[in-house]
Amino acid sequence: MTALLAVEHLSKHFGGLTAAKDVSFELQPGEITGILGPNGAGKTTLFNLLTGFISADGGVVEFEGHSLVGLGPHRIVNLGLARTFQLCRPFLGMTVLENVTVACLAPRVREERGTELRARRILDQVGLSAKTEILVDVLPYGDLRRLEIARALATKPKLLLLDEPFAGLGVGEIEPLLALIRKLHAEEGLTILIIEHKLRELMQLVTRVIAMDFGEIIAVGAPREIVRDPRVVEAYIGHSESVHGVA
Amino acid sequence: MNIPNKARIGGLAALAFFALVPLVTQSDYFIGVLTVCFIYGIWATSWDFMSGLTGRENFGHALFIGAGAYTAAFLGSRFNVNPWWGLPTGAFAAVVCGVIVGVPTLRLKGPYFALATFAAAAIAQRSTRIFWEYTGGEEGIPGLSPLIGSHLAYYYFCLGALVVTTIVLLVLARSSWGILLRAIRGDEAACQAAGINIAFYKIVSLVISAAFAGVGGVLYADYQLAVTPDVFSVVLSITIMIMVYVGGMGTIYGPVGGAILLALLPEMLRAFGEYRLWVYSLVLIFILFFAPGGLIAPICRRIVGVRR
Repeated sequence: MTALLAVEHLSKHFGGLTAAKDVSFELQPGEITGILGPNGAGKTTLFNLLTGFISADGGVVEFEGHSLVGLGPHRIVNLGLARTFQLCRPFLGMTVLENVTVACLAPRVREERGTELRARRILDQVGLSAKTEILVDVLPYGDLRRLEIARALATKPKLLLLDEPFAGLGVGEIEPLLALIRKLHAEEGLTILIIEHKLRELMQLVTRVIAMDFGEIIAVGAPREIVRDPRVVEAYIGHSESVHGVA
Repeated sequence: MNIPNKARIGGLAALAFFALVPLVTQSDYFIGVLTVCFIYGIWATSWDFMSGLTGRENFGHALFIGAGAYTAAFLGSRFNVNPWWGLPTGAFAAVVCGVIVGVPTLRLKGPYFALATFAAAAIAQRSTRIFWEYTGGEEGIPGLSPLIGSHLAYYYFCLGALVVTTIVLLVLARSSWGILLRAIRGDEAACQAAGINIAFYKIVSLVISAAFAGVGGVLYADYQLAVTPDVFSVVLSITIMIMVYVGGMGTIYGPVGGAILLALLPEMLRAFGEYRLWVYSLVLIFILFFAPGGLIAPICRRIVGVRR
């Protein structure tokens, strides 16, 4: 099986800060992979590197055998690699339908007839069909999350990067979103890479976890193994000796 | 495009009103004032198409106006070209300026586009003095041959040009193109994440905006039968922006109303004599203060009962 996404020796520095250091991993088609790591571990930077929002200092990213190095964000999306943002970024002053229509106009999917019809179908899929004509400015946060995912889906991605999709959601909103992501994976065969702090949700969803700290991958494995991995525990809770030292 | 019937009727009523004005007034002066109002309308609505919709403010719209006006005047006076050629060549010159300013700056984030447009118009105005042998320096190029002899016919011609400009830009703004421009205004990064080439859309929109501004510049030169460096001035660029703000940014039709209103205002304030400018400024400050979303478009919306 050839990898959908292959990342090799990816690195990025911001001045003296190492945001990504020799990051290498592969994603197989149809896989759901989680990225775990404390704040500042370089998870979102990794997403920004993969999607072309910032350019790497070195390394190779290959998507379906095409190199993504040097491509701008919109070019990468049109190859089939879409993302959502950690903080929702709706187009204010526009309706829910218009927000999704924008992504339906991306060159990758534009040829298809009936842009508006497609946008409506996607909104139906994520459960926003009752709110198509509402201005996004007044949408509750849970719906904005769905909108964010709808906009990424509209570009017909093969690989979807979700940046903390459960952040800021209430208890009642998490379960439906989990169901939605599972449904997308089951029905569309979507490959998903997901950053999440909410461990319980992440562990339910993923088959494999990549743990990061200080811009480096510190462990890769099944969810059960990874939470017991001493390096991961140390990254989250601190070194056992230093804990004793403080005490 | 679905437009409420009330809006259609309103637009036609406004058009009919200006079409009938010459039947009521015999004043050649007033006809002239209204002709200039229409030209301001073209400038304002073309500014709004790029800057109002995408939110990237162009501080040098006069660059395109001047490029159009000077090109037409130069060809007419030097080479005795038929004045009608001024319209396409003027528009083309403005488009070239749009590409030169837009391509390097609209790819960047930050204030570069605003600064570049501001500087480009200032450089163009300076250039008219430096290359005075060709541009006539401070005096400009006088004695152009008119596009249309009769003032009344020219009035209707400019009214027609304004109507065509407004309709074309309105149709574009309500199409999927307009949705993308408004999305760019909302969030550029999110647009890129939706697979949209934002630089392309901004540059082409600037070029369209420039083309119409250039045509307006040619019409202005042909109205005055002369051009002076003032067509490149900062004052003109800022005046147009104020007209758009008063009309209602991003609505296309609003700025037309704003332009006609503000271009007529000094005439309406004649009774104030030497305090005219004072009162004009006060009225302006009041409008901008109490109607930050504009005056014309919100009123139209209220009457028609739509959100946009």
